[in-house]
Amino acid sequence: MTLLRYLVAGGTLLAGSAAIAQDAAPIVAVPPLSTPADKPTPSGSTAALAWQASKLIASDLQSATELMPIPPDQKDFYSYPEVTAPTFAKWRGRAGLLVTGFVQARADGRVTFGCYVYDVQKGRELDRTGFAVDPQDWRRAAHKCSGLAYKAATGAPGIFDTRIAYVSESGTGDARVRRIALMDSDGYDHSFITAGETMVLTPRLSPSAARVAYVSYMTGRPQVRVRDVGSGAEHSLVPGDAMTFAPRFSPDGNRIAFSMTIAGNTDIYVVDSSGGMPRRLTTAPGVDTDPSFSPDGTRILFESDRSGDQQVYAMNADGSDQRRLSFGAGAHAAPDWSPAGDRIAFTWRGGGSLRVGVMNADGSDEHVLTSGPSDEGATWGPSGRDMVFQRSDGAGRRSLYRISIAGGGDAQQIATPQDASDPDWSGPVD
Amino acid sequence: MRNIFLALAAAAAFLPTNASAQFPHFVQRGAPPPQPGPLGRPPLPGPPGAPLFGIDAERADFLARSGSANVYFGSGSTILGAPAKATLGAQAQWLLAHPDIVVRIEGYGDPRDTRDHALAVGAGRADAVRDYLVLLGVPALQLSDVSFGEERPGPGRAVTVLVR
Repeated sequence: MTLLRYLVAGGTLLAGSAAIAQDAAPIVAVPPLSTPADKPTPSGSTAALAWQASKLIASDLQSATELMPIPPDQKDFYSYPEVTAPTFAKWRGRAGLLVTGFVQARADGRVTFGCYVYDVQKGRELDRTGFAVDPQDWRRAAHKCSGLAYKAATGAPGIFDTRIAYVSESGTGDARVRRIALMDSDGYDHSFITAGETMVLTPRLSPSAARVAYVSYMTGRPQVRVRDVGSGAEHSLVPGDAMTFAPRFSPDGNRIAFSMTIAGNTDIYVVDSSGGMPRRLTTAPGVDTDPSFSPDGTRILFESDRSGDQQVYAMNADGSDQRRLSFGAGAHAAPDWSPAGDRIAFTWRGGGSLRVGVMNADGSDEHVLTSGPSDEGATWGPSGRDMVFQRSDGAGRRSLYRISIAGGGDAQQIATPQDASDPDWSGPVD
Repeated sequence: MRNIFLALAAAAAFLPTNASAQFPHFVQRGAPPPQPGPLGRPPLPGPPGAPLFGIDAERADFLARSGSANVYFGSGSTILGAPAKATLGAQAQWLLAHPDIVVRIEGYGDPRDTRDHALAVGAGRADAVRDYLVLLGVPALQLSDVSFGEERPGPGRAVTVLVR
């Protein structure tokens, strides 16, 4: 799918959005998107797409706890000219921000999505964007529009158009078939990207979800492969028959840190994501694995059992300055660096149980978020507010859960067509 | 490869209960399909003296003479204990007498470990077994190794599997 940015963001007044960001839970009006002419498309008429997109935008903004959307109401109908010249008086006193937009059929079979965000009080435009998309990709365009509104309101990037990769599992025990699957973070647009003929583990998405690195037993041994999601082209991450696993992209997508086992010793290496000669970063005896880059790419978290049990360590991206971060009771494994760099998700291991926890980036203020007994492999969502992880039930069946780090809430199961493990949440899709 | 492993595991009676159903060749040659016994374990398959040929016969002989295809490790450990070394000593004797046989050493992590650590520990266990067999004189060309981490059920162990 391609998204074509055809409108220049005009008159982006960040001073205005910063002022709004100081308010608690800004109210965002999302009246129905408009259409200049109601034309049929394979995914419904442009008016129907406009209505559905409005509802999705309101739903996206509702899911972000910082905002309070006013969902679309048919009687708030906006004419096409009003999209770019809204009647602000109608919303004053009710909403701080207004989102308008339109869906227009194009001669080439695609549709144009236009999206505008206004400061209601000041009566001025804050930001705008536009895309030409296949009609079936309307959800993607609506998510982008949600992101635009979110950014105007909070100053932080919108995080609604993101993807989750995971391992889909059918059957149990030795008959289990595993496929790499990919879906939008709201569960739509689900697809399988490997066929299940060979065992696969731990998909890890590049920042914009264009590529996925994963472990395959295709050669008989576990080895990392990198696949272009769009074309399906694949290559082995490093040549040779050494066992490689636990891949993780750098924030710019240009490097992959991973574990390689040589003569029984597992260390962390880094290599260009397109291939080349891997560079060894750790040399301690024992197991060094599960690397995770800092958001600026200069440091790498990892897990090591060099002290006897698994603990979280950090080092510079060249392997220097290795230091232990976790000192609480029990073992601390599988660290994942939060998008803002301020926190670390990890798997706590103790008393025969696995649980998901968070700590500050310096190892302080550690606490466990889930009750276990078999919760592991948490990865952050791009907002840094919530994460996904894998939970196994007593019978060994696995599924994906999502939990907010704000606390108070229980983990929510994410619906998948089959059993599911090893989730990884991408950054914003391009 | 998977079926070969399962057949061996069936002979050693360390297996998930659905394994025999996935290995039709073994069933055809040996005996009626073994039914899961008490505790979910199947009985030893086949009457003694059921005819076995080729690699199946070699596997049966390997098991009979070395005692076990499995060696076990302490939690999180990749260090071979005395019982493991005794088993591997017998395996090495057999392998030295059968230089045409190639084996794959499968390392497993501990249940309830985290996934990637279990993979690494399984690799360390397979490597420890391989190193010890080489130390006892088994040519490295006869040996290959792989880790399955915690991806298949069972206690922390390494298994020597006859491939061909």
